[in-house]
Amino acid sequence: MKAGRWNTFRVGLTLALFVVTVAASTLVLRSVHADSLPQVQINADGIAPRPIEELTGRNVTRDYANAWRDLSEALANNKPDLLNAYFTGFAKDNFSKLISDQKKTGIRVRYIDHGHQVRAFFYAPDGGEMQLLDKAKIEQQVLDGDQVIQQENTTRQYLVLMTPGADRWFIRSLELVPDSAAP
Amino acid sequence: MRLTARFPVLLILLLPGVAASAADLHPPAQVVAGSSFSIPSNGGGKATFYLLGPSHVLKREVNLGQAIAVDGDDVQTSGKYLAIACTGHSCDSASFYVVAGNPDRLSFLLHPSRVPVSAGGAINATAFVFDNFKNLVLKPVTVDFHVTPKNGAPFTKTVKAERGVAWMKMSSTPKEGPVKVTATIGSAAEPRIIQQVASDACNLRIKASRTAKGVLVETDPVRDCSGNAVPDGTIVSFTAVDSKGKTTVDAPIKKGIARTELPLSGNARISVASGVVIGNEITVGGRS
Repeated sequence: MKAGRWNTFRVGLTLALFVVTVAASTLVLRSVHADSLPQVQINADGIAPRPIEELTGRNVTRDYANAWRDLSEALANNKPDLLNAYFTGFAKDNFSKLISDQKKTGIRVRYIDHGHQVRAFFYAPDGGEMQLLDKAKIEQQVLDGDQVIQQENTTRQYLVLMTPGADRWFIRSLELVPDSAAP
Repeated sequence: MRLTARFPVLLILLLPGVAASAADLHPPAQVVAGSSFSIPSNGGGKATFYLLGPSHVLKREVNLGQAIAVDGDDVQTSGKYLAIACTGHSCDSASFYVVAGNPDRLSFLLHPSRVPVSAGGAINATAFVFDNFKNLVLKPVTVDFHVTPKNGAPFTKTVKAERGVAWMKMSSTPKEGPVKVTATIGSAAEPRIIQQVASDACNLRIKASRTAKGVLVETDPVRDCSGNAVPDGTIVSFTAVDSKGKTTVDAPIKKGIARTELPLSGNARISVASGVVIGNEITVGGRS
C-alpha cells in the first residue's frame, strides 16, 4: 500500500515538473522573441497632409521594428543580405557599403536597442511616402576585431523616409540628424 | 569619450617612450558633404585613427599633435560621424555631422498618370531634393512646379521644401490632353507627363430608327460636361422594355458614338446610361 502511494506521488511529481518545465520554456521563448524585436511606438497625431489609416500605422510600426532588428544584426555580423527585407534605395546602398567597409577594416558596429519613439509628420497625399522622426535610445559599441574601442548610450534622432512595397513598408532613407532638424 | 582598452597597463608603464599620449580630437561641429577638412588633435606619438560614418569606415595610422586630414571622399554621405583615435592603451572619440551640400538633383513623383478633367485636387506632385552625393537636403529650399497643359496657359507653383520634401496638390484643367509638370530647383529639372482624359458623359442622348430586323439605337456624340469627347471603348448601356420584358445591351463607343440594334417589333421604351450617368428615354411604336 505504501509502495503504491509512493509510486502515485512520484508520477504526480514528474507530471508537475514536466508542466512547470514546459511553461517555463514557453515563457523563455516568448521573452527571447520579444527581446529580439525593438520596441517601436509611433505617434501620428500631427501628420500631414494626409491622415494615416490605422492599419497603415500598425504596418509601419511592425516594419520599422523589423528593419531595426535586421540592421543591428546585419552590422554586428557583417551580413548585408539581411538588409534586403526592409531597406531599399539610398538606405540600403549606404548600409551595404558600410558593411563592405567593415569587412575590409575589421571594424564592426554593435547596437543594443532600447526602443524608438517615432513621430510621423509627413504622409504624401497619394500614400507613396512617409517621413518620420525617430528618437531612438541606442547603445552603440564600435569594435576593432573583438576589442571595444568606443561605446556610447544616448538618445539619438533619425530622420526616416519610408515607402510602401507590395506587402510592407521599406526604409528608403535613415539619417542621424542633430536636434535642430526636428520639425 | 574615453575607453580604457584591455591592454596591460604595466607594459605601458615599462615602455613610456613607445606609448603615445592620449589623443584629444576637435572636429568641426558640421561639415558639408564631400568637403575635405582636418581634425586637430592633441597628444603625441602614433595612433590609430578611425572614422565611422553612415556608409563608410576608415582606419589608418596618424601622428597625434597634428591635424588629421580627412578627404572629401570619406565624408560624402550626410549624417553623424564618429572620429576615434586610439593609442596603445586608450581611445578618444568625438562626433560631428556632415550635412548635404547645395540642391543638385530632384526625385519627382507625379500621381496619377491619368486623371479626368476638372477633378478637384486630383493631381499630387512630390519632389525630393538631393545634393550631388544623393543626400537629402534638409535646409529649407524652394522648388518650382511648372505646369504646361496642352490647351491652356502654363503656370508655376512655388513650394518650399522642408526636410527635403516639397509637395503640392492641384486640380486637373478642363481640357483633355497631356499636361507636362516639371519640378525644378536651380539647374535641376525633372519633367513628368500626366494624361488628362474626358470625365463622365454629360447630356447623354439617344435616337432610334426602325430597321428590317428591329430598332437601331444610337447616341449623339458622347462628350463630358467640358465638351471633351468621351474615349472610344467606354461602355454605354441600352435598356429596352417591351411586352416581352427587359433587354439590356452594352455597346462600346466607336468614333464618339455608341450604337446597337435591338430586336424589337412592338412598342418599347428605350433608355441609355454610361457609368453613373443616365441619359434620355425614348418610346418607339410597333411595326405597322
